[in-house]
Amino acid sequence: MAKVEFTNSVRRLRFENDEMSQQDLAGKAGCTRQTIIAIEQGKYNPSLALAFKIARAFSQKIEDVFQYNEDSNK
Amino acid sequence: MNKTQKSAIYCLSVFSLCITMCIYLVIKIYILKSVPGKPSSIFWMVIYFLVTAAPFIFLRKKQSPNEPDADERDDLIKKRAVVCSFVSVWVLLAITSIAPRFIVGSEASIPAWALPLINLPIFLIAMGIYSIAVLIQYGRGDKDGES
Repeated sequence: MAKVEFTNSVRRLRFENDEMSQQDLAGKAGCTRQTIIAIEQGKYNPSLALAFKIARAFSQKIEDVFQYNEDSNK
Repeated sequence: MNKTQKSAIYCLSVFSLCITMCIYLVIKIYILKSVPGKPSSIFWMVIYFLVTAAPFIFLRKKQSPNEPDADERDDLIKKRAVVCSFVSVWVLLAITSIAPRFIVGSEASIPAWALPLINLPIFLIAMGIYSIAVLIQYGRGDKDGES
């Protein structure tokens, strides 16, 4: 079974939102800056609640921020 | 560096200090066969400061007023570190139960006062393992996980 791949557009969206800093995003999402860094690097997959908070911080839908690559699971 | 990392570094520092003092005393008493001298009052003041006052200074500063002290990832890291620490306690208990038989022989006896000295360091080592486990999980990235 292939490894499940989650990707995200957090880094891109930060820059599209007036170059929002990781600190600002962490404050809006209610998590630490280290968690934002880990998410951006794909080292940590956030819980559904945190994923929604991050998406709301960008005023985006969750699927626009976090993507699940279904093909890799076949 | 967030509060969880700072706490782990502080615990590891205290652990290292305790281990260093234990090794020094063991060498002094059992190998050099001499009675250690009475430590100076400055030594005890430094120890007292490290154990009581340092965490308040060291852990006080937050990265940002809006940012929480810990989030779900920190909780996950702490949970995994507790599991590592718990497993290490059982492994060390097993080792300390078997080791005396090989050191002093199966028919020998050890004084009752030695038992706390054998068992208490297990929890000290477990604290060290907890701190190391926390730092390893954070350290999978570069500085602060930042590349």
